[in-house]
Amino acid sequence: MRWVEILKRETKEYSDEAILKKMNPLVGSWFTEKFKSFSPPQSHAILNIHNKESTLISAPTGSGKTLSAFLSILSELITLSEKGKLEDRVYCVYISPLKALNNDIEKNLKEPLEELEKLAGKDLGVRVAVRTGDTSQYERSKMLKKPPHILITTPESLSLILVAPKFRELLRGVDWAVIDEIHSLAPNKRGVHLSLSLERLQNISGRFTRIGLSATVSPLDEVAKYLVGLEDGKQRPCNIVDSGFIKKLDLKVTCPVESIIDATQQDLHEGLYTKLDKLISEHKTTLIFTNTRSATERVVHHLKQNFPKKYIENIGAHHSSLSKTHRHEIESKLKNGELKVVVCSTSLELGIDIGYIDLVILLGSPKSVSRALQRVGRSGHKLHDTVKGRFIVMDRDDLVECSVILKNAMEGHIDKIDIPKNCLDVLVQHIYGEAITEKQHSENLFSMIKRSYCYKDLPLEKYESVLGYLAGEYVSLEARHVYAKIWWDHETNMIGRRGKLARVLYSTNIGTIPDESFLIVKVKDQNIGSLDESFLERIKKGDIFVLGGSTYRFNFARGMTVQVSPAPGRVPTVPSWFSEMLPLSYDLAVDIQKLRRKMEELLVSGKSKREIKKFLHTHLYIDDFAANSIYEYMREQHLYAEIPHDKKMVIEFYSGFSDKKYVIFHTLYGRRVNDALSRAIAYELSKISKRGVSINLTDNGFYITSDKGKLQVLRAFKAVTPQNIRKILTEAIDSTEILKRRFRHCAGRSLMILRTYKGRKKSAGRQQVSAMILLKAVKRISDNFPILEEARREVLEDLMDIKNAENELRKLHSKKTAVKIIATDVPSPFSLNLIARGYMDVIKMEDKLEFIRRMHKAVLDRIGKYEPNK
Amino acid sequence: MNLTNDIEIKGLALYIPKHKAAIISDLQLGYEENLISQGVLVPFTQFEDTKERLSKDLNDLELDTIIVNGDLKHEFGRISRQEWKDVLRIIDFLSSFCKNLILVKGNHDIVLSSITKKKGVGVVDSFQLGDIFITHGHEIPEIPKGVKSIIIGHDHPAVKLRDGDVSETYKCYLKGKWKRKTLIVQPSSFLLTEGTDVLHYTLKSPFLEKGIENFEIFVVADKPFYFGKLKDLR
Repeated sequence: MRWVEILKRETKEYSDEAILKKMNPLVGSWFTEKFKSFSPPQSHAILNIHNKESTLISAPTGSGKTLSAFLSILSELITLSEKGKLEDRVYCVYISPLKALNNDIEKNLKEPLEELEKLAGKDLGVRVAVRTGDTSQYERSKMLKKPPHILITTPESLSLILVAPKFRELLRGVDWAVIDEIHSLAPNKRGVHLSLSLERLQNISGRFTRIGLSATVSPLDEVAKYLVGLEDGKQRPCNIVDSGFIKKLDLKVTCPVESIIDATQQDLHEGLYTKLDKLISEHKTTLIFTNTRSATERVVHHLKQNFPKKYIENIGAHHSSLSKTHRHEIESKLKNGELKVVVCSTSLELGIDIGYIDLVILLGSPKSVSRALQRVGRSGHKLHDTVKGRFIVMDRDDLVECSVILKNAMEGHIDKIDIPKNCLDVLVQHIYGEAITEKQHSENLFSMIKRSYCYKDLPLEKYESVLGYLAGEYVSLEARHVYAKIWWDHETNMIGRRGKLARVLYSTNIGTIPDESFLIVKVKDQNIGSLDESFLERIKKGDIFVLGGSTYRFNFARGMTVQVSPAPGRVPTVPSWFSEMLPLSYDLAVDIQKLRRKMEELLVSGKSKREIKKFLHTHLYIDDFAANSIYEYMREQHLYAEIPHDKKMVIEFYSGFSDKKYVIFHTLYGRRVNDALSRAIAYELSKISKRGVSINLTDNGFYITSDKGKLQVLRAFKAVTPQNIRKILTEAIDSTEILKRRFRHCAGRSLMILRTYKGRKKSAGRQQVSAMILLKAVKRISDNFPILEEARREVLEDLMDIKNAENELRKLHSKKTAVKIIATDVPSPFSLNLIARGYMDVIKMEDKLEFIRRMHKAVLDRIGKYEPNK
Repeated sequence: MNLTNDIEIKGLALYIPKHKAAIISDLQLGYEENLISQGVLVPFTQFEDTKERLSKDLNDLELDTIIVNGDLKHEFGRISRQEWKDVLRIIDFLSSFCKNLILVKGNHDIVLSSITKKKGVGVVDSFQLGDIFITHGHEIPEIPKGVKSIIIGHDHPAVKLRDGDVSETYKCYLKGKWKRKTLIVQPSSFLLTEGTDVLHYTLKSPFLEKGIENFEIFVVADKPFYFGKLKDLR
């Protein structure tokens, strides 16, 4: 088989006949007996894999993806076995991010093998085994004596196996590597870590066929490049099988009331539960996603309370704060069809088989198209089932957002993922692993590293700064023995391991996931609950938040303990789950902006309400209520102020109550970009005005407030350019909680803080305190210390989105995006959500609703009450 | 900057010109080794940095006496190899600045005497210069009549200042009253951490049992800054 382009969109579909001809006859008969014929991903991929061509298969769950990968592999192994040529070594490595998934797969492989053996009437001798952190010592030694032909493992365990001196030898002739759920690995450091493990594996086993299994993801080309890497600086070839949208989609956006803005909190609450109950009753098993743990608890509570006879044993809650036992119980009950409804935060999004679900409800926006598809895709598991999902929205921005998500989902436009590049902390682990295995030439190692897509552009100086760090060159010679993990001979350019404990240290400390990061919340000495660590990124002294039904005031934090005081009756200023909220994807944000621009064009050109609603119906696939609300929303903003969109940014100067001045930037770019922009502007502003500045941000924009005097905001805004924003942000994040936290994570990955040392494990709290000390010491050595640089990179590129912030700034500075400045004395409709602190808990809305309705009334008084006849 | 007529702030050291004496406190040598033994690989620079800082503070002063007001070293009980080395070196280093070196015993210095005997330097429970009384502060000894000012260490006072989500912690001096005598709490000369944030934590010394709300705060940055009373900073 030959191909012209390097990345080939595999459009050739092979006939069942053609495929079966190449398969081992036993496997062929087994397949035709069990299934009717090959599914689309199978007809496209199996023969490519048979011809040893690396392939990326993108297809929804239940489409036979796994078998696309394994059919050809099983066929070959059985043929070898029949000829008596099956050796005692590993032929195929199957890698999955989830330990539970590994156990599912073992069943899905062992079951076919058992059936095949039954068909053959004899033992086929093909061995399958799982090796993870949970594998016992006994099983591991068994594996050495009788190695599995198909090894199932996790990314972390793979990097450990590569260093195990005996087991490693069994990997010398691997022919296939299957990477499952690659869409969930590629966009984070776990995927970066895996990419280097794959290159290390290829280094000892020679070339093998790489098969990537993915849910719908974009951009597929980039994920394919990530899968296969480079050879001698050139992209390795890969086939792409894109069966992303073969399932039928039945999706709707609905609202529990006719007009969101006119409804009272009571109306919305009642409407929501009536609607939920109705939908649940009409289906066999419903899965509800709420985005946050607290909302999950509340929905279950209210369903039970409002319908006490209906929801008793047949309802369950599932989220990461619940115990493992509880979660497993819910999962198996689901699988056995014992539950009518399960409510979860985001925890049931990924792959584990949870049985038959015929409806997925999304309460509140999932913030990206791929997430939405992933979630609704949990319904109708089999290939020809319809995927059924309902979005229930409770505010107007949510309505617009979900409508655009639905449109993109129906039309196959998925938001793009970002693959992290040049991560220095992950690099530390792999260089160390390689040095432990054998001493080698640092240039050869550099070449191997650059074969990974994530490191193809790694500058030599960054590589050498990591080598210098591992060699302990930042301390004096006498002290070096304490810190150095490798030795680096600058004359011969050879590197090798140092210290007798190297292998133990490596094995007990590698990995990319930072330790369980829950904060303990205390009132003096009393424990009152726990919060996610990222809570500290946004909270300020004096902020009021809700935990376990009561309100508290944040005082300060030390390590992983947060000190608070009870603040009964106070209005919350920050939702405690703020950082649990997923950020709106940038691509989606741009699409919403384009919709806004289209609406402005229609309104400006004087089109009637009927005509505009018709456009909305066809453009967005929404019903009458929804089209009505969107129309009114846009119209109000247009008449009262200006509609901001992708070609026009609006800055709104609003004078609030009691002298408080707000400058609202209507930047619908998603929270990650807004984080970067707002911080840079606030930093410049504090330099100009020489006083602290308070910023608040959401996906739809950000605002700056000040109690005193006129703000030099426009000056600060102009001072931030696409060329200098990186430098400004680097300074702005110095000494912030975000940098300190990420530094701790990077220091852990770089083995500067060993969470397991001399047999003892260190809690995240102790790690955090140590990290502060470490950060101070490191800063004194060099501002470019590689771990510090990596922490900064992670904050700017992975946590925030500096790349797209630079893009937007380029458009602003080149005038491709215009800037319109307006002044209001009542916040414009689009501003209301921003000022009311953005993220609304789906259920608790009292104060915000009151405020918004009051403002809304004031707006309507200006533009005149809406006339139904127009 | 003067804390009293006789006592001046010279960086992390207190200077008493009348007696040509300087006081430093809580050097905590050997802390790094402790961290490393727990798997926190903090780079080994404490000793050099400490020497550099001490030079800066002490160089231009006319000195007959230097007093180290407790916790010269870090470990309780046994003395580690690094501490032994560092203590000897520090003693030599400090002796080069003055004629008399006095070590006041702190709560971490239980086995200090075995080192100092080697160098012929004595260890005392407290020291008096005129009407100024110097003691570590982990317990209250008998205070002689006529003492007008007391200097203690022990609590490593610092203050954490926050602006939004940016925060910085600085070492500071505390000045207040104890039984109608002036009480000064000196920050540590230990450079790896700033110390205990007085705004949010209670200090341990029995001298401070009645609280420090009315104590004045002097922040040590490149030079000392007066920040007023603690209660006003909250």
